[in-house]
Order: sequence, then C-alpha cells, then structure tokens
Amino acid sequence: MAVLNNKKQKVSDEVPTSSMADIAFLLLIFFLVTTTFPKDKGLAIVLPEQGEEAQVSQNNIMHLIIQPTGIVDVRRGEAQNTQQMRPEQIESLWRQAISENPNLIAAVKTHPDAAYEYMVDVLDALHSASAERISLQILE
Amino acid sequence: MSMKGGGFDRKSKASSEVPSSSLADIAFLLLIFFMVTTVFQADRDRPIEWPEAEAAEKIDEKQKNILNIWLERSGTVFMNDQPFGMPDVSSFVAPLYAASDRALVISIRSDRQTPYIYVDQLQKELVEAGVVRVVFATQLEQSMQRERR
Repeated sequence: MAVLNNKKQKVSDEVPTSSMADIAFLLLIFFLVTTTFPKDKGLAIVLPEQGEEAQVSQNNIMHLIIQPTGIVDVRRGEAQNTQQMRPEQIESLWRQAISENPNLIAAVKTHPDAAYEYMVDVLDALHSASAERISLQILE
Repeated sequence: MSMKGGGFDRKSKASSEVPSSSLADIAFLLLIFFMVTTVFQADRDRPIEWPEAEAAEKIDEKQKNILNIWLERSGTVFMNDQPFGMPDVSSFVAPLYAASDRALVISIRSDRQTPYIYVDQLQKELVEAGVVRVVFATQLEQSMQRERR
C-alpha cells in the first residue's frame, strides 16, 4: 500500500444512471395518484317504456306539485287538502308516509316554468329517503 | 492479489447485483401504457350551473356507455359538442342506444335554471328513443352547505 500514486482514480466519468429508475417510478406513481377519472355523479331514474301505463289506486299516490317558486304542494291520493312545504322537508315526510303505506308512489309534478333545480331538490329528498317508486310528470 | 488459495479466492467478474439498468425502461413502458390506455371523456363541457344534490350516486356504467346530453337554459340541447333541436333528439339517440345493446345510460346535464318544460320534452324524446336508464347529473352537495341554508 505504499504506492499511492499508482492507484486508479475511483471517480466515475459516467453520468450516474442508477437513480433513473427511481425517478421513473416516482413519475409513474405520481401520475397514477393524481389522475382522477371524471366519474359522474347523479340521481338515477328509470324512465317508463313507451306506451307503458299502469293503473294505480289513488290511495297509493302522493302528489308532489312543484310550483315555479320552489314551494311544493303535497296532496295525498284523493284528498283535497294540500300541504305546502319546502323540498328539504319532503325527506322526513316520505319516510313517515312509506312506513304507513309501503306501496306508496311519489308522483312528482313540476310546473312547466319551474326551474330544474327545484325538481332536482325534490328528487334528491326522495332519493335520500330511499324512495324507489317515483314518477316524473309535468303539471298540466 | 495473493495466489495462496490456488486461485480460488480470485474475485469473480460476474456481478453479484441484480441488473437494474432495464428497470427504467420497464417503468417508462408502464407510464406510457397507462397514458395511452386512459380514456378521457370525448365531449367538451358546456358552461352550465350545476344543480346540487346530496343523494347523488356514481353512475354504475362504463364511460363509453354514457351519453351526455347538455340542456342549456334556453332549451338548446348539446350532444357530442353539437347543438340539436328538441325534436331531433330521439332520432339521434335511438341508433346509439341500439348500438350499445340497450346498455346506454343518458346523463342529463342541465342548467339549474332551465325551465322544467324543456326537461320534460327531453324525457319524452328519450322515451320515444326507447331509453330507460337516465341519470340527472348533479354535483355533490356538502351536508354542511345544506345545514347553512
């Protein structure tokens, strides 16, 4: 070990490429994590088939009439008296009504001039109350 | 180097390390694979004010089986970046629906201020086209927001 001058220089003259794989994986993982797929959200509904019309007893219908102001008139079956409420209140109303009558159908009738968002609010309330039988109509 | 052991302790020239020079290539290959296979939605978003809903659920269908129908405040319908008149909707949707083996889901993306008459007309067009599964696309409403109202 006396001949120090003879020893080869240990510093490599190449660009270090061993960390390249790490960088590539880092990029890969970064893009995997940050990529968000635009998964749409919404309120699903099944439209009736063409010409499909079911006869339903008036006792099993709850009419929800959406006025242009966003106020909802609730009328049950053949009863003449209506109850006015805001869309948020429908959820608890529906929960109570469905426990009394499991065959209840929500007939959502929207005024032609009412904004779409009010219908969505009502539909949202019905979905929140896990209503399954919903019919969307226009107020005539 | 001593030759005491008969040359057996001579260092082997084969590397004892796992060859990692191709690792970068594999990583890049994966990166490019995922970049290529990622499918983004085909149509451009229309400028609408989204309605909000709390009970909104994810649409349980493949992206390619979802058709976005944009409905603007004025009643103009947009599908695949093209404007449509209301009576033309069913004739455009019906062949798409048939081509998808009746798996097509319509995502109605309407402005929150759209008068309901247009939404109703659109629904009637879809019923005419035979479509059954429809989703009213909304943005998720935060429950905090709802409590404040």
